[in-house]
Amino acid sequence: MNYTIASEFTVLIDAIETHLVGKRETIALSLATFFAGGHLLLEDIPGVGKTTLAKHLSQVLGLDFGRIQFTSDMLPSDILGVNYYNQKEGAFIFKKGPIFTSFLLADEINRSMPKTQSALLQAMEEGSISIDGTLHTLPKPFFVIGTQNPHEEVGTFPLPTSQLDRFMCSFGIGYPDSVSEREILKGERGHSSAVSETLLRPQQIESYMKQASEVTLSETLLDFLQEIIAYTRESGVFEYGLSTRGALSLTAMTRSWAMLQGRTYATADDLQAVTAVVCSHRLQFKEGSTTAKRIHDEIFTHVRSDI
Amino acid sequence: MLSLKHLQDTKLSPLALLDTAYIIVLFPLMLILKVPMLLFSFMVLALLFFKKTPADKYLILFVFLMGLLALYLSMYGLFSFRGLSRLKLFLELLVYVLIIVVSMQRLTKEINFYLLLSPMLFLALSLFFFHGIVMLSYVIFEIFFLLWLLLAHRMDGDMIESFRSSMVMFMYSLPWVVVLFIFFPRISFDHADYGFKGEKIQRMGHDGTMFLDSKALLVPSDRIVMEVGFDKEVPSSNKLYFRGSILYVDKKDHWETLPKYIKRENRTYHPMQGETVEYKVTLYPTQKRWIYLLDMPVEAVNDSELDSDLISTVEKPIKAPLHYTARSVLTPTFHDDLDQDTLDASTHFDPERNPKTYREAQKIKNHYKKTDKRASALVNFFQNQSLTYSLKPKALDINNSADSFLFDRRLGYCVHFASSFVTMARMAGIPSRIVTGYKADKTNSLNNYLAVKERDAHAWAELYINEHWVRIETTNTASAIDGESAQLLGTDTNQKDKTLIERVNLYLMYVKYQVETWILYYSHIRQLQLIQYAKDNPRFVLLFVLSLLVLVLITFSITAYFRRPRCRHKILCIIEPLVKRLRKEGYIRKKDETMHQYFLRYMKDHPENSALKEVDSYYEAVSYGGESSAATMKQLKRMVEKSLSS
Repeated sequence: MNYTIASEFTVLIDAIETHLVGKRETIALSLATFFAGGHLLLEDIPGVGKTTLAKHLSQVLGLDFGRIQFTSDMLPSDILGVNYYNQKEGAFIFKKGPIFTSFLLADEINRSMPKTQSALLQAMEEGSISIDGTLHTLPKPFFVIGTQNPHEEVGTFPLPTSQLDRFMCSFGIGYPDSVSEREILKGERGHSSAVSETLLRPQQIESYMKQASEVTLSETLLDFLQEIIAYTRESGVFEYGLSTRGALSLTAMTRSWAMLQGRTYATADDLQAVTAVVCSHRLQFKEGSTTAKRIHDEIFTHVRSDI
Repeated sequence: MLSLKHLQDTKLSPLALLDTAYIIVLFPLMLILKVPMLLFSFMVLALLFFKKTPADKYLILFVFLMGLLALYLSMYGLFSFRGLSRLKLFLELLVYVLIIVVSMQRLTKEINFYLLLSPMLFLALSLFFFHGIVMLSYVIFEIFFLLWLLLAHRMDGDMIESFRSSMVMFMYSLPWVVVLFIFFPRISFDHADYGFKGEKIQRMGHDGTMFLDSKALLVPSDRIVMEVGFDKEVPSSNKLYFRGSILYVDKKDHWETLPKYIKRENRTYHPMQGETVEYKVTLYPTQKRWIYLLDMPVEAVNDSELDSDLISTVEKPIKAPLHYTARSVLTPTFHDDLDQDTLDASTHFDPERNPKTYREAQKIKNHYKKTDKRASALVNFFQNQSLTYSLKPKALDINNSADSFLFDRRLGYCVHFASSFVTMARMAGIPSRIVTGYKADKTNSLNNYLAVKERDAHAWAELYINEHWVRIETTNTASAIDGESAQLLGTDTNQKDKTLIERVNLYLMYVKYQVETWILYYSHIRQLQLIQYAKDNPRFVLLFVLSLLVLVLITFSITAYFRRPRCRHKILCIIEPLVKRLRKEGYIRKKDETMHQYFLRYMKDHPENSALKEVDSYYEAVSYGGESSAATMKQLKRMVEKSLSS
């Protein structure tokens, strides 16, 4: 991938990278998802730094960090909160659940029952929850990093595609490269439990999000984008094509990725850079396994921007 | 035509396409529309322009009534059921009716079969009204344009794509069109009469009689009578007399040939002195029996007869183009042993008529005893009468036409000059006669090719002097030529130079003539000649093959040009040379590579090409950043050039 992150964001990435060595691109993509106003699904084996990434990202961004460890016996009220009868006051009082936070790490989301999953996912989509007819607004920004373990099948409830669609991006973290791993093993860098410094003020976050939404998408790029969408729907290699929400996520991510590079317009490169992470949990090959790389190659060897 | 750039993203609606087709096909017809019909057409145009909604039935009825009114006014005075038997009038009516119908249909804003069909009908109809090279070129243009519009209609109005397709189709068909044009018999009113009465258009031309009453205006027609190819350069104009018929008998208002019972002997061989020329003639159908030969023909051609007056005729009227080779001696005089009948006919005059002329003739007759002296005195007399050459003379007193012309009106053209001259010569005792035919104009020639037009029709006199017939150019005795006639004849000094169109026309006629001469007619003998010529001139063979190759090459390159994949976007067009160059260096853009990645890959290996980095950033700014100012484009172009040179 060819990209140059603008200096104001390099600082953020540097700060997180000291704890998650050699994963600059992952960090950058996470940031882009955040600024695009979406949610992130990290799909990887345990112990590669999913939690580390979430924790330090929230610290650098200066957001309240909340964490829910999903288990099979969890109920929606364990996430959303509950109305209980306060005998002293003689009325029902709402007790906020752990979801009322700006930065939520929903760990091992596929371990809980679909009912519980959908409670979270509805909140993610709407930015609010309603309990017993009362609407409770979630804080803004509201950013969820969901994690799921791909290989563990016993006792898991795989997220249905419609639910997966609510996550803007999905990617794994992967093993560190050998040089970084060496450094980690030596104990020189990374995986420390130290707390990261807050680098952004809430106003800055708001303005970056605004900036990201205002990035220009030229007609040429939209043509390219539509060709990609059309390909996923019409080529017949995927089970089903990209949804409109998926397409909107693609534009939002493209914009946000362009902003991270300090540009006010998005290019075909930006689109190429984010397509795989936006599509990997939305598209499924009819034959063979679905990986981000395969999706990327499939799409871009068949759809090409002339411009 | 609209510029292609402008059309780049133009998509025309089917109605707009149809309107364009109508404008193209109606343009020539506008020239024949009478004023009321023209006004009606403009009214419909204005209605179409201002009224955006489909017309209701009242408006359509109104347009119909207005159309009828326009038709009535246009045809007023011309129209009668008998008039309908005249082809041109009938066609004109057809055009008018078609215009009214199309106008009514068009106002409904719906496309139907009639509307789609009628442009072709208009095109076909216009062919009846216009002949000539300009119209031919326009028709070719029209056909191309209609093809384009048809394809555009099929391609949902994509003008640029359909232009490319139609151009490809057209280029492939063009050689065939040219071939068909040359080989295919062309329609003309002479052929297309089909039971219609012939047009009574008074025009110049030779028909074996010569009328003196000039009540009708004579329109010099450019219709080609014959085409002549000389074996060497075309002789000067004053030698280009083509004999048609000889008129002996004065019938007051016209002159006639000898009565049938006076049989002219066939010409027996008499040597003539002077420059001999050989020439090939293509004579177009005249419906008459005369074969035109240059003064003075040496022998009869093909199946024709040559009488002792050197008049050549065939047995049946000429109804198809006739080709003949002839030989003539360019001399104004020839020997003839005149028989008594002919002598009587050429000395006869009516003493009752033309008393003034008679008096003057008697003076000359008495003063000079020798015929040649009398003749020159006669010429002198004419020259002193201050006669004016005019194509629009005032009517003469037919009972005393010579008197009226010489002493009263003093206005006339070749007919009047020749008639009066011969009348007076006979009165002065010189046997004389009128020769009618064509006097060609050398300005209508190119190299050894000469076109003889109807306007070249001419009459002159022959006087029998010392056993020789001597040609006298009687119009030379005119002391002036009136302006209008000068203009009509094209001899006006201001208009001496031929216009470009005329020049082009002549060239095209020359080409057509050469093709006809070399391809259509003289096949066998000409082929042998050609082979012989090619043997002697290897350069000719080379040129021939080369020009064939060039023609094929041109067709192919134009086709290839229009078939090439085009850069859809302006920006791609600008960087195309750069991409080409990179491709040449072995950097082929991969399928999944964006332009930026492609440039980066190249720059990685060629960091010295710093301009490419600039190109890249400008390119991105233009493609994605919405930066499309002319200055940026210019800068990008400069950068592309710079990176190309480095």
